[in-house]
Amino acid sequence: MRRGWQVACVCLLGIFLGALVTSLGYSLTDALGPGPGFFPFWLSAIGIGLTGAMLVQLARGRILADAAVEVLPSRQAALKAGAVLVALSVAAALLEPLGFRLTMLPFIAGLLLALGARSLLAIALTAVAGSFGVFHVFYYWLKVPLPIGALGI
Amino acid sequence: MDTLQHLMTGLAAALSWQNLVFALIGCVLGTLIGVLPGLGPAAGTAILIPLTFRLDPTGGLIMLSAIYYGAMYGGTITSVLINVPGEAASVVTCFDGHQMAKQGRGGTALGIAAIGSFVGGITATIALVVVAPPLARVALSFGPPEIFALMLVGLGLVTGLAGRSLLAGLAMAVLGLLIAMVGIDPVRGAPRFTFGIPSLYDGVGFIPVVMGLFGVAEILLVVGAPTRQVIATKLTSLLPSREEWRRSGGAIGRGTGIGFFLGLIPGVGAIIPTFVAYVLEKRISKTPEQFGQGAIEGVAAPESANNAYANAAMIPLLTLGIPSSPTIAVLMGAFIINGLTPGPFLFQERPDLVWAVIASFFLGNILLLVLNLPLVGLWARILHLPYQYVCVGTLLFCILGAYSLQQNVFDVGVMIVCGIIGYGMRRIDLPIAPLVLGLILGPFIEKALRTSLEMSGGDFSIFFTRPLCLGLLIVGALILLGSALRLAPAEVRKASAD
Repeated sequence: MRRGWQVACVCLLGIFLGALVTSLGYSLTDALGPGPGFFPFWLSAIGIGLTGAMLVQLARGRILADAAVEVLPSRQAALKAGAVLVALSVAAALLEPLGFRLTMLPFIAGLLLALGARSLLAIALTAVAGSFGVFHVFYYWLKVPLPIGALGI
Repeated sequence: MDTLQHLMTGLAAALSWQNLVFALIGCVLGTLIGVLPGLGPAAGTAILIPLTFRLDPTGGLIMLSAIYYGAMYGGTITSVLINVPGEAASVVTCFDGHQMAKQGRGGTALGIAAIGSFVGGITATIALVVVAPPLARVALSFGPPEIFALMLVGLGLVTGLAGRSLLAGLAMAVLGLLIAMVGIDPVRGAPRFTFGIPSLYDGVGFIPVVMGLFGVAEILLVVGAPTRQVIATKLTSLLPSREEWRRSGGAIGRGTGIGFFLGLIPGVGAIIPTFVAYVLEKRISKTPEQFGQGAIEGVAAPESANNAYANAAMIPLLTLGIPSSPTIAVLMGAFIINGLTPGPFLFQERPDLVWAVIASFFLGNILLLVLNLPLVGLWARILHLPYQYVCVGTLLFCILGAYSLQQNVFDVGVMIVCGIIGYGMRRIDLPIAPLVLGLILGPFIEKALRTSLEMSGGDFSIFFTRPLCLGLLIVGALILLGSALRLAPAEVRKASAD
C-alpha cells in the first residue's frame, strides 16, 4: 500500500503544481480586491505543501500505509473491472450517435455476459427493460430528456 | 407558536397525496439501496437524483430525503442476514444481529431494528423542529467572514475525522476545493481552468463526480469481490418477547440520545454514534458476555443511534448550510440543482419548502416502520439477486444521472474518470469524504472569503477582529490540532494492531 500512497502523492503534487502555474495566469488581485486567481493560487500552494509533507512522512514511515495490503487487484477482478470501464467508455461514446435505447441494449447484455450471468432469457429481458423500458419511464413519464440517435430510436 | 404554525403548514403540504407518494417511493427505493450490498446511501441517493428532475422541488427533496433515511435503515437487513453491512453505519449491527439470525431470531433482530430506527428518527426530528429555527435565526446574523470561518470549521471537522492521515484528509479537501474552482469565476465572471473546453464553463458537475467516486468506484470494487452466503432464518416472529422489550427499551433511549447529539457535529459520520451506543450498552450491561453472541441491546442501541444521527445530521445542513457527510452533501447538491441554497436564508425565503421537508421526516419514519415490518421477507429475498444485475442496474442509473442533468455526454466522461480515481482512492484507503465536501463547499467558501476581503480592502485582519469569526477559527484550529494528535503515528500503529 505504501507504493500506492507514493504514487497518489506524486499525482496530487502534479495536479497542484499544474493548478499553481495555471492560476498565475489569472489576476491574483484587482481594483475590487482578490482576483479570480487568488483562491486557486493559495489552494494550490497549500496543496503542494501538504503533499510534500505527506511524501516526507511516507519516506520516514510516519503515515500508516500497510505494506502487507495488496494495492493491485487480482487478475480476475482486474479483468472484470476492465470490462466495466470499457463498456462504460463505449456506451459514453455511442450515447448520442446511437441514442439511449440502442446504446443501452448491448451495454446491458454485454456487461451481464462479461460479469458471468448465464441465463440468456434473463439477460435479454433485463437488456430490453433497462434500455427501452427505462427510456420510456424517464423520457415519457418523468420528462427527463434522453438522447435519441440518428436512426430516430 | 410560529414554529408550530409552520410545522402544521408543512405537514399539510407533506400530507398531499403527491408528496406522500414521493415519500413512499423514496422509502422503498432507499431501503432497496440499503439492502443491495455495495451500494451505499451516498451513491444510491446520487444515482436516483434524475428521478426528481421534473418534480417540483418540494416533492423532489421529500423523495430524496426519504431515500436517504430509507437507505440508512436498509443496511441493517444485510447486516443481520449476510453479516455484510449495506452501509458503513450498519457495521455494528453485524456483531449481534447476525448472531441472532444464526440462532433463528433474525426476524426479532430486524423487528427491533425497525422499531429502534423509528423511535430514533422521530425523536431526532422533534428535536430538529425545536432546535432548527433558533439556530437559523442566529446564523442569519453571520456576515461573510463568519460564514467563511464556519465553513472552514465544517470542512475541518470532516477532514479531521476522515481516514488514517490528517495530511491526506486536508490534501483531499484542498483538491475538492480546487476542482470547484473550474468554470466561470462567480465574482468576476472570468473563466478558470477551462482550457478552452466549452463543457467546463459550467464547472465540473457535482453529480457526475459523486456518481463516479461512489457509484462507479463501488461497482469496480464489487465485481472483484466474492459472493456472499445469505442465512436462511425464520422471519415469522418480528416482534420481541416481553423480556426482550424490557432489555431494549433503555438501549433505544440511550442510542437515540447519542445519535442525536453526535449528529449535530459535522464530520462525525454515522459509524461513530453506532459504535458509541454499542460500547455504552456493553459497559452498563449486567451480562456483557452476551454481546457478540446475539444480545438484543446490541442491535437496538446502534440502530436507534443510526437513525437519530441521520435525522439530526439535517440540522447543520438546513440551518448553517454545512453538510455533515457525503450523503448529506449529495442532498445539498440536490437542493442546489433545484436553485435552493441550504442555510438560514432558506427558512426565510422558502419556509413552505423547508417545513414540508421537515414534516415529511415524520411521515417517512412512520412509512419506514409500516413498510419494513411486513416487508422484511421481501427485502430478504432481494438479497438473493445475482450481483451482476445489481452492478449493471447501478451503472445504467449512473450513466442516466450523469447525462441527463445537462444532457451532456462530457459529464458521463467525468463520471468514468472519477470512478477510476475513486476506485484507486478506495484501494489505498485515501479519504473521499473531504474531497466531496470541498467540492460542494468550494464556491461558497471562495465567495465568503473574497467578499470578506473586499469588505476590508484586502486586509486579512477582518477574520481576527470579529469575535465570533475569531472564535470559530480557533475552534477549527483546535479540531485540526486534536485530529493531528489523534492520528499521531504511535497511536495509529497501536490502533491498527488492535
